[in-house]
Amino acid sequence: MSRFTVVLLLAALLAACASQPALPAAGFVDLNNLQPLPTPAEQDVRPLRVAIAAVISPQGSAESYAPLLDYLSDKLNRPVERVQRRTYAEVNELLRTGEVDLAFVCTSSYLLGKREFGLELLAAPQVNGETTYRARLIVPAESTANSIEDLRGKVFAFTDPDSFTGRVYPTYLLGQLGEAPDGFFARTFFTYSHDDAIRAVAEGVADGASVDSLVLDFALKRQPDLAGRLRVVHISPPFGMPPVVINPDSRPQLRAELEGILLEMHTDPDGLAALQALDYDRFVRVSDDDYRSAEEVESQVILYESNP
Amino acid sequence: MKMNLWRTFVTRFWKIAGSVNVRTKIMGIVLGGTLLLSLGLTYQVHHALTRIMEKELLARGVSIGRDLAARSTDPILVNDLYALNQLLLETQKNNSDVRYAFVLDPDGEVLAHTFGGGFPPGLIELNRVEPEGYQNTVSIETPEGLVWDVAVPVFDGRAGIARVGISTQSVQRVLLDLTSHVLLTTVAVLGLSLLAATFLTFILTRPILELVEAARAVGQGDFSRRVRRWANDEIGDLAEAFNQMAIELERADEVRRERELLRRQLLERVIDAQEEERRRIARELHDSTSQNLTSLMVGLRSLEDACEVPQVHCQTQELRQVVGQVLEDVHNLAVELRPAVLDDLGLSAALERLAQEWQKRHRIQADVVVHLGGERLPNPMETALYRIVQEALTNVARHAQARQVSVLIDRRQKEIVAVIEDDGRGFDLERVHRDGHLGLLGIRERAELLGGSLTIETGTGEGTSLFIRLPVPHPITTEIRESVIR
Repeated sequence: MSRFTVVLLLAALLAACASQPALPAAGFVDLNNLQPLPTPAEQDVRPLRVAIAAVISPQGSAESYAPLLDYLSDKLNRPVERVQRRTYAEVNELLRTGEVDLAFVCTSSYLLGKREFGLELLAAPQVNGETTYRARLIVPAESTANSIEDLRGKVFAFTDPDSFTGRVYPTYLLGQLGEAPDGFFARTFFTYSHDDAIRAVAEGVADGASVDSLVLDFALKRQPDLAGRLRVVHISPPFGMPPVVINPDSRPQLRAELEGILLEMHTDPDGLAALQALDYDRFVRVSDDDYRSAEEVESQVILYESNP
Repeated sequence: MKMNLWRTFVTRFWKIAGSVNVRTKIMGIVLGGTLLLSLGLTYQVHHALTRIMEKELLARGVSIGRDLAARSTDPILVNDLYALNQLLLETQKNNSDVRYAFVLDPDGEVLAHTFGGGFPPGLIELNRVEPEGYQNTVSIETPEGLVWDVAVPVFDGRAGIARVGISTQSVQRVLLDLTSHVLLTTVAVLGLSLLAATFLTFILTRPILELVEAARAVGQGDFSRRVRRWANDEIGDLAEAFNQMAIELERADEVRRERELLRRQLLERVIDAQEEERRRIARELHDSTSQNLTSLMVGLRSLEDACEVPQVHCQTQELRQVVGQVLEDVHNLAVELRPAVLDDLGLSAALERLAQEWQKRHRIQADVVVHLGGERLPNPMETALYRIVQEALTNVARHAQARQVSVLIDRRQKEIVAVIEDDGRGFDLERVHRDGHLGLLGIRERAELLGGSLTIETGTGEGTSLFIRLPVPHPITTEIRESVIR
């Protein structure tokens, strides 16, 4: 055997030896020894629980609201816990039972909560100088539809059953035509968030959807290519901005403190940064008057739905 | 110390390797080689496969973990624990290598897990991952083998951590399966190798054993042995060389035999001629010289009787005494040259006469015992034995300083044994051999001429015994004639 072969063999042997996937050994656990999980330790300080309605998808909400919640926690010198639920109704339920202190909800959720258990306004964001927003009826770019009438017999995506722009307003439009969604559309489904409804239309899963103008702008800013795949065929009149609401049983001090922080935060660089993450200019004080138009639309829809 | 151990090992190895036969060595080479190759291959294959499979399993584990983390984000954020639980169970169901899966919230509390009734204590703390990390995998020892725990942050750690336990059992099973297959194959190959090696050693050792046998035969003088050339290899060459050597040896042996024969014939003739000459001279001395001397003696007596002159008388008497002495000397000379009694009365009588004369002359006691069963031996044999005893006695008288000598001639079944023993001072056999004592050489020569042998037992101060064995062929005379002619 030549020396070369010997060297080759040795090299192969060495190569084979020096190649274990180096996983650190962590220890020993008996996977069949099952014990009850310890109950979580009570937290010393009760955190401020803030609910975020699923206007946009849970991940999107968590991401965009994080700086705001951090800011609140910083200002209150108290931990803030983010609470998210799939539907608006679940958030309203949390507000009703007092499980959350503060909530960012949809306009119709507020109206519903006000009616049912006296939910109270705290503030509302001002976006691009306005405290109102609109519903926009969108269809795929290649669609021939020019109004909601053209969507007869098509597939329509609602966002949430309690969403003002996502369900209440399109139902209102159909009611004015003397139609109801069930008979008018071939099929409807809920996406439980506005960005999913936008995506459903952009991808052709739905032939139309009514979405929050703020969310649509936000989505188009993030994904400019969406613009080419969507077409807006109808814009609603302005309605009161989705507000920040507070549990009516909250202590007045907390309420005042929160109000102060929210209304003043645009003057603080950190607060401004948190606002910018949500594309808000600032928070402003609002009153029920600002929600009058929305309330009218909603009561009309309730009327339509009770008399089909 | 180490060097010594090594040396001991080497020595022991050579002792063992050297003491087994070639058959075993070849078997050892074939089986050892096969075994080493197989074990080496098994090791390599096992190693390489372990590496590949573990790498692949690890990649799969990470991928499952990442997938689980991505898919559990929404259920965690919206607190849909049922969906989260379903997701975990689904993950476990769809991946047989997933031993467990669980999700921790950012505070480290378990949100959902696949263990069912409880949770193994200590498992949570074993692995952690940074919120901005991609994944972290550690190896956990469990009673059911190693489990790799993959930790993946969910939604950059904001929603918690997803943990997946990947069991390495399937990999171990595959590896065990493979290894046992390879080893089984090894055993089968070993069996086949054994057969092949047996056949090979048979082929290899058959000519060698034949060579050994032939070499032994040649060593014992059978130069006619030849070996077959089995194969056209080195052993074949050896066989050829061996055969060539045997041919050369046979030729040389033939030449040697011829020369030996010639030498013997010559020696025999010389001895015959010598004996004949002695006999003739002895007869001449006896018949002619002794007769003449006797006549001279008679003449002198007549002269003595006839002449009254006292001076002449006296001188004649002296002369007669001288003649008488010469007559005796001539007689002795004749007897010594060739005792007539050997031809006339045989060996026994001749040796007795010889012993008497010798005893008288040298004053050393000599006993002669001859047992020949009343038969006379062939003439050359009688002469040889007589001359051998005569030479031996001469040696004793000259060198031994003995007081007693005994001579025994005994006829056995197929041989004549002659023993000449003295109680003299003995001698150093080695030295005498080296110096080439003519007397002893003569004895040996005569014995060997008749196909016999001489054995000497002696030592300084121990006396000397000569044993001479001569075969008695039937019929003796013809046999010797034939051998001479051959």
